[in-house]
Amino acid sequence: MTTEPATMPERNLESADDIIIAEGVDKWFGDFQALDNVSMRIKEHEIVVVLGPSGSGKSTFIRCLNRLEEHDKGRIVIDGIEMNDDVRNLNAIRSEVGMVFQQFNLFPHLSVMNNITLGPRKVRRMPKLDADALAMQLLERVGIPEQAEKYPSQLSGGQQQRVAIARALAMQPKIMLFDEPTSALDPEMIKEVLDVMQELARSGMTMIVVTHEMGFAREVADRLMFFDEGALVEEGTPQHFFENPQEDRTKLFLSQIL
Amino acid sequence: MAEMPAPNPQRIVLPPHRERARRPRTVRLREWVRRNLFHSRSGSVLTIITAALLGLLVYGVVYFVFVDANWRVITDNRWLLFAGGYPMDQEWRLWFSVGFVFLLIGLAYGTWASLGRRDHLFIVLASGFVILLLAHGGAAIWSTLWYLIAVALLYAGYAITIRIPRDAGPARTAQQRVVAGLMIAALPIVLIALLAFGGARPRELDGFVLNLVLAPVGIAGGLVIAIPLALGRASRLKAISWTCTTYIEVVRGAPLLGWLFVALFILDDVIGGELIVRAMVVLAVFTAAYMAEYIRGALQALPFGQYEAAHAVGLNQVQTTQLIIMPQALRISIPPMVGQAISIWKDTTLVSVILPLRELKGNADSAIAQFEFTPDRIEAYVFVAVVFWVVAFIMSRISQRVEGSLGIGER
Repeated sequence: MTTEPATMPERNLESADDIIIAEGVDKWFGDFQALDNVSMRIKEHEIVVVLGPSGSGKSTFIRCLNRLEEHDKGRIVIDGIEMNDDVRNLNAIRSEVGMVFQQFNLFPHLSVMNNITLGPRKVRRMPKLDADALAMQLLERVGIPEQAEKYPSQLSGGQQQRVAIARALAMQPKIMLFDEPTSALDPEMIKEVLDVMQELARSGMTMIVVTHEMGFAREVADRLMFFDEGALVEEGTPQHFFENPQEDRTKLFLSQIL
Repeated sequence: MAEMPAPNPQRIVLPPHRERARRPRTVRLREWVRRNLFHSRSGSVLTIITAALLGLLVYGVVYFVFVDANWRVITDNRWLLFAGGYPMDQEWRLWFSVGFVFLLIGLAYGTWASLGRRDHLFIVLASGFVILLLAHGGAAIWSTLWYLIAVALLYAGYAITIRIPRDAGPARTAQQRVVAGLMIAALPIVLIALLAFGGARPRELDGFVLNLVLAPVGIAGGLVIAIPLALGRASRLKAISWTCTTYIEVVRGAPLLGWLFVALFILDDVIGGELIVRAMVVLAVFTAAYMAEYIRGALQALPFGQYEAAHAVGLNQVQTTQLIIMPQALRISIPPMVGQAISIWKDTTLVSVILPLRELKGNADSAIAQFEFTPDRIEAYVFVAVVFWVVAFIMSRISQRVEGSLGIGER
């Protein structure tokens, strides 16, 4: 992947506030501990790439951040809102956090347009005309305005994933979660999705990306996190990770995929 | 609609066979017969035996229909079979309902499908059958006229909606909403037309009219009960899921006939009311148990990612079910649902076995109970069978169209 050096003048991470705080998060599936005492802080506008072997808990962790999974212990605070059983908090968090899935999960019975406008219209009570205008704007942004009236099954995988990104953006979230967004794509379609994500990163969105795309991690991420066996093993800048990893498990993992 | 489906590749790969094309038709026919029917000795024997049996069958049917049968058992009992005890001076209400339903079918076909050559042929044949029945003996000129008006309404409705362009737009959305709304309102409108404002009393719904009222009530009522039942069975709350499961298992565990006995004897003490209303309740409750299981199957077939994506977009549980899950589940369950609908359509005949309600088959029994028609029971039952087949066939055709026009959003 060739890109110009990431210049992000509007992003001043030093002075930004922590938008995501996780403290001592545990998660169990029956007897299996999926997350083991995970703590982290993520600043607004920060791009975090989460790495780790399969089953390491990285997906489970980001799914806890919009409560597709409930954490069993510890504390998660999103933009000052405590994640707990309070439904109002949950709704507030879900409207601030957009999510993109590995399998796209578009709604197959709705047109591209309706996939995108559904959230704004039903949750934000946005008038149809405004929602349609917003959707067209987002489709322009992800580069497929001409597909607005098609159905998901008529699109390629890359196009579907770009619609899924537009759908998440339509809720005007502050944070975007990406759960292996390119893993289900044919190789020639990966770039078009990564380009959209890179543009999004440049615009100042806070992003947490679970991915195996090392090029993206190296060039776009502010910080990398390495998960193994449910624990956050190591974190640091891309430079730190690729040139000077400290933990043995990190080294082993990187040696296997690089 | 979407682009045309790609043409069958096998058809375009083969170049036109010039030699064969030049040969005269009779030679080609002879060739075809030789290849397909007499290609070997055993094949020839089979062909001859099959042809003989088919010939016998066709001869038998033709002889029965045109020579042997006494169709007066039908034509003389026209009104008895069609509407029985329905007050004759209110006949216009029946035809109004027929016309309204025909109009709706036309509107719906123009909106979501189109009438092909086969559909026109079917309409012409079925209409010929009906007109023959109505006009034979010359007594029912007005009824024939009413029927022709109904068919004209079907084509009028079709002509209106087929003109509206199909590409998405507010006009198209409005059209779909109006037609769908009319379809939902159709059953109440027909019931009001038949019964209200000086119409018949419910117990006077009779003959074929009774079948035509009972089946849609059973199907629509069944669907309305089935949706919460299916959701309830899938619920995480044990009390709800247990209640719904019990309902389904108990209702499916006994035959419809048994439940109609319940309606006749037990419900009388419990809820009372018109017999026909009790029969409707039983049909709806019975149908619901089956439909709920089809919907539940479809719910389980939906990928879990659909729920997650809906939640991630911020939809709550009710919105997710209503906007994301149910539309997909109902679409998946259309084929078995239509099977259930056709089944309940035929089962409406059971009503006359045990209840003093007289539907088409019951009134056919009455027709052949008359002294002069006692030898004609085969004619009567053949007629009933044909009528039921025609309606079941229409249901099946329409459902194929529904599946076809919904197929576009399929995964």
